Amino acid sequence: MSLREETIQIQELLGEYCRTGEEQELPGVTPGRIQHYRRLVWNVVSDTLATAFPITVAALGEDSWELLVDDFFAAGLPQTPQVWKLPFEFYRFHADRETGKRIRKRFLDDLLLFEWMEIEVHTMTDRPYPEFVAEGDLLHDRLAFNPEHEIVQLEYPVHTHPVSQATEMKGEYYALLYRLPGSGNVQFLALSVLNTYIFTRLQEADVPLNEIKGEFARVAGIESGRYLDDALKKFFGDLLDRKLILGFKRE
Amino acid sequence: MVGLGLRRDIAEEILESRTLTPDFLEFAPENWMGMGGAWKRVMEQAVEKYPITCHGLSLSLGSPEELDWEFIRELKDFLDENQVKIFSEHLSYTKSRNAHLYDLLPIPFRSDAADHVVERIRKVQDYLERPLAIENVSYYTPVAAEMSEIEFVNQIVERADCRMLLDVNNVYVNAFNHQYDAKEFISQLPLHRVEYIHMAGHEQVEPDLIIDTHGQPIIDPVYELFDWTIGQMDPVPVLLERDYNFEDTDQIQSELVQIKGIMKKHWKVEHESA
Repeated sequence: MSLREETIQIQELLGEYCRTGEEQELPGVTPGRIQHYRRLVWNVVSDTLATAFPITVAALGEDSWELLVDDFFAAGLPQTPQVWKLPFEFYRFHADRETGKRIRKRFLDDLLLFEWMEIEVHTMTDRPYPEFVAEGDLLHDRLAFNPEHEIVQLEYPVHTHPVSQATEMKGEYYALLYRLPGSGNVQFLALSVLNTYIFTRLQEADVPLNEIKGEFARVAGIESGRYLDDALKKFFGDLLDRKLILGFKRE
Repeated sequence: MVGLGLRRDIAEEILESRTLTPDFLEFAPENWMGMGGAWKRVMEQAVEKYPITCHGLSLSLGSPEELDWEFIRELKDFLDENQVKIFSEHLSYTKSRNAHLYDLLPIPFRSDAADHVVERIRKVQDYLERPLAIENVSYYTPVAAEMSEIEFVNQIVERADCRMLLDVNNVYVNAFNHQYDAKEFISQLPLHRVEYIHMAGHEQVEPDLIIDTHGQPIIDPVYELFDWTIGQMDPVPVLLERDYNFEDTDQIQSELVQIKGIMKKHWKVEHESA
């Protein structure tokens, strides 16, 4: 490397000042100008994160939110060269540090994750669609799932309840986020534990629902019969309406 | 040719050619790389309809850090896939102590820093298999300078044997902020290396300080400087940079028209370089 140690140090001090706001001894600067760099850098990071997490900002209030951004930017060492991916690093930083527990906002990890996943599902690279036909039978044909979805497990139901209520409802929750064919808009669906199981299992097995409903009945501890058939048809019919199932696979 | 940056706020407007009718579009690759879904489709439509240039944000050519080769590999794929005609980057640094900062910090005007940047531009050009157009950036204070800005820029551009993106607004901003003569600065640049020009608006925040915001209309003195500058040069594509305040698209279109009018005055035949 051609850089002198002194030059490296000067460059790093400026970077450090921009991230932390702590004044540094920088030689040869025009008085009163250096703080504009801190302001500009801070604005980019702060605007990016506030845009990504509007519900979290509202839930915490501006002051608490700014402290989280400040902590992250000072100590988080953002690694992505793509600023739109920064919200994921922000989520990981606070989840790893257990910030939610520390500031007594136990919903924080879940809310940050859920808000990030909306961005992730909206922007993630396209996944190849399976071949399918529009007409078929929910129980006896293999189902063609919309591959552009993600399931997240949450401890607090921040996807269905205001945080003040969600905080009191610790448990096991699943949210299925998916991208609509055509518009690319993101929607989500709250799933029960059992529906998450059958949804995931059916995709893995890639067989008609009829072939694994017995296994599902055993796992769920319910009787296999007409009642189960109706319930499964209702659930998967709803997924078909929502375009989470695109259609039916035919050999 | 006069282009406009493809921003999400005005993507639909541009693709449907409602009010805004640029001749080409510029992407910041970092804002589009690795994206699927609706934004990917917007990008595909843009590539189909317009010639594309790319203006990078995160190479951090002036940074003490090692170059991010994984990112550069992805960048190369993106430039190739989208048939990008011109790729430019900033003469600045955006990463320090293993942390991205997402804005353009001024490199100390020093000979070791110049050597360092020259080496890195060459490496990147070799890898990308395309020339880099390096932009003169706006800066609000020098830091530990041991030479003048013009010496620094010229040393790098000549020795790296790269091309140049001349940002006319940045020259105006720097000349105002650091009290030098903008025309004299431009006349000392290797104008034969300029393959692309940026024009933009700015905001005066203090009596003696302008910030390069890309959010306001271009002011007359910058048009005048542009007029004077291109009178010394061969034709190149010119881009209007606008990063926010998109409400008045008629006004943005009128800027495109005004830039084009000045270009036509100096450059009789429309070139096809973008």
